[in-house]
Amino acid sequence: MRMQGIVGLTFLAFVVQSTIMPWIIPGEFAGRIIPHFTLAVVLFAAMYHSRHSALLLGAGFGLLQDVVFRGHLLGLHAYAMALIGYLFGLLLERRRSTMMMALVIVAFGTLLYELALYFVYKVFQFTQESLSWALVDHILPSLFLQLAFALAAYIPLRRWFQNLAMNRYSKKEPE
Amino acid sequence: MISFILFIAVIGVSISNRSGLTAPEKFLRDTTGFVQQWFYKPAGYMAGFFQDIGNLRSVYDENEQLRMTTAAYARDKVKFNAMEQENQRLHKLLNFTKAQEEINDYKFLFAQVIAVSPDPYNQTLTINLGSKNGVKEKMAVITDEGMVGIISKVSEVTSTIMPLHELNDQAPGISATALGKQQQSFGIVSSYNKETQMLQMTKIAADDPMTKGDTILTSGLNNVYPEGLVIGTVESIQDSDFGLTKTASIKLAADFDHLNEVLVVQKPEAIQ
Repeated sequence: MRMQGIVGLTFLAFVVQSTIMPWIIPGEFAGRIIPHFTLAVVLFAAMYHSRHSALLLGAGFGLLQDVVFRGHLLGLHAYAMALIGYLFGLLLERRRSTMMMALVIVAFGTLLYELALYFVYKVFQFTQESLSWALVDHILPSLFLQLAFALAAYIPLRRWFQNLAMNRYSKKEPE
Repeated sequence: MISFILFIAVIGVSISNRSGLTAPEKFLRDTTGFVQQWFYKPAGYMAGFFQDIGNLRSVYDENEQLRMTTAAYARDKVKFNAMEQENQRLHKLLNFTKAQEEINDYKFLFAQVIAVSPDPYNQTLTINLGSKNGVKEKMAVITDEGMVGIISKVSEVTSTIMPLHELNDQAPGISATALGKQQQSFGIVSSYNKETQMLQMTKIAADDPMTKGDTILTSGLNNVYPEGLVIGTVESIQDSDFGLTKTASIKLAADFDHLNEVLVVQKPEAIQ
């Protein structure tokens, strides 16, 4: 699995979260459970590959999201995802994270991302709702979906990213 | 730090210069839209299939109801034909210009939704029609139940809908009126309250005859949006903060989740 494969996979996650997920989520929760699958992939890249790839993936797919669903602001998702990917990469790149650790990191990353979105929209007055309401309304329900996705994708994603990292190191050694 | 400055700069630019899209943006949107439509429609069919199985029992009753409605429509059609003829005759008498004649001659473009934005504060929809098909910014988008939103960005073969529940104080409002009281009633649908899930209609005059339960339509007065599209029903009316005008809470008519097909309302060219 090379880097192109990872980019393709992330693109698939991006397409799935904007097309198939709205149909799977029941009507009562529409607008309340919001999938952030690309962010999960970015966080996995930070944990099991390198902080630079997380930074690039985050910036690239964040920008894609910004442009394709151009709403109030441009560049917000790109910046938030890249920054969160890089920060967690900086913290955890050299450690061998266990499954529980990975789930906790995905949860924290998603929470941080949602809060960043909330506060930026709040600062520019595109939203008037209070933080506690936003938490109960969509941030926490979305977190459950995100955890379920992280759990389901944990084994394949970890394997791919670690293979990728190993290839890189084995290539470096002979030099 | 440099990236933070860059981020602020990009946001600043995107706020100030909000009309139109650049060529790379259009290209990126269209290519992504092209891929997205392969996924959204089949997913919709699958979901629809399971729903249909669930609905099998109620189909008989619904059929009965639809037959009654069709009968009512047939009756109304006779009335409508007579009224239209009368209307045309009166228009001729009053020497209407061509533009005036065509003012309500809307065309409806049939569009497929191809993606929904995964951003809680910006839940835009993408449809598979663009400037090539004659879609322009600020066109209204409806379903059979009522108005859904407004076209906010257009590229070659896809465009973005800003749904009514993304309306906020920053965007210009939609002028609206109540069904049956079109001449006396007026207000501006300006923002959506997510906590109560109601649209706010402001600037209603204190002596306005609007009451609870009235159907709210677009008035077409600002000449931007078409006339007579259903927005929702009035749930409650309060005096506004200063007591000079009234504010109404409106429940949206259209159902926003699991949207599949929408209609883009195209106004005649002459007055655009």
